[in-house]
Amino acid sequence: MASRPPEIKIPVPFEEALRRHEREIMRFLLRTTRDREDALDLFQETWLRAYRAYPRLDPDSSLRPWLFRIASNLCRNRLRELVRRGRVFADGDCPDREPRRDADGGGTAEFDLRRAIAALPARQGQAFAMRKFVGLEYREIAEALGCSEESARANVYQAVKKLKSLR
Amino acid sequence: MTTMDFEKELREFPAGRSGDESMLDPMLAEGRRRLSRALKRVARPQARVGEIDTPLGPLFVAESERGIVAVRFIDGADFDRELDALRARFDLAENRAAANKIGDEIRRHLAGDNSALAHRIDLSLVPSEFQRRTLRALLRIPRGSVTTYRALAEAVGAPDAQRAVGNTMASNPVPIYVPCHRVIRSDGSLGNYGGGVERKLVLLRAEGFRVGEALKLAKEVVLGHRETGIFCRPGCPAARRAKPGKTLIVADSSLARGMGMRPCRVCRPLQ
Repeated sequence: MASRPPEIKIPVPFEEALRRHEREIMRFLLRTTRDREDALDLFQETWLRAYRAYPRLDPDSSLRPWLFRIASNLCRNRLRELVRRGRVFADGDCPDREPRRDADGGGTAEFDLRRAIAALPARQGQAFAMRKFVGLEYREIAEALGCSEESARANVYQAVKKLKSLR
Repeated sequence: MTTMDFEKELREFPAGRSGDESMLDPMLAEGRRRLSRALKRVARPQARVGEIDTPLGPLFVAESERGIVAVRFIDGADFDRELDALRARFDLAENRAAANKIGDEIRRHLAGDNSALAHRIDLSLVPSEFQRRTLRALLRIPRGSVTTYRALAEAVGAPDAQRAVGNTMASNPVPIYVPCHRVIRSDGSLGNYGGGVERKLVLLRAEGFRVGEALKLAKEVVLGHRETGIFCRPGCPAARRAKPGKTLIVADSSLARGMGMRPCRVCRPLQ
């Protein structure tokens, strides 16, 4: 009758996508927002948006960067909202450059690293979190942030450089 | 602090001290609970989908909880668009077993089994009430008989809507099950078919029709009246008086008798 067409591509069921990626999305959100309630809100919003847009997702495109793109866009919007309300410092306004010390005067306390990450410019902070806390490839970070792979690499590099300089 | 120390601290951050990682499990449980509540408000119905091989070529089939929602010819020009439309309305999950059951029915139907197509049908992809009404009217055209675009338009109470009926046939989401192949032109020629005229020919031949070289129904067809239960030769004056919407074109007199009809006493189609 007719020659056999190429195989039909159907994306994995949404439930399966959720099961595969929920943990790393939650980890990314928690470490980017540093607030349990914010992370839970954004977790719900990320997956709801993903669900609504899922029928339009090209089955050939990678699911993971697409999900992180949604999550990171929501984080950026939330940050802007918080900056507008004056709850957090704007990008680049480092809260305290003096490193805090442990009570015994030893190594730098974890709190410093946390605040230092918070003070990174949004894009650098997101690229850094995706790379160091979730383990995304630079290619995936680039796809998630909508930039080139070189730019993703540069953002992570700059973030690490800044964090080291604050120590 | 060395680079290695810094990398170590990053790896541990903040799991080692504040226990973010251990927070994840209860947070995920809470996140899932909130999400499932939110998804209930926006959830699309589920459809089981799969690809099947049939004598008509490879088909893509989808079945919702309510019945078969789509049967598509994969090599059709609009297949991608049709798949997108299906994805917009349903959450698709591949299910070969469900698809194979549909494939079995189609194969048995083509092999001559009158009662093979047993699945229920879900017309939720059909956009308008007129189209749903027209497709439901088609379900009353039994195997071994055909109707015309004009007669079908009349049967649904819109005698001037022959073109709209044609468009409805062209966009029928569940061909074979909703037998749009059983609609032909008033001059007896086959007309078009979404899957190609070649497939229409295969389906009609499997249902007992003989179709000549010119893609016209053979002369042995008879006209059966749905209400009187009488079948006539095509030229019978009694058949000409009948409304097209009440008349079926049956493949031959033996099939008409099999449908419970009796021959006309005026034109005597059995002689």
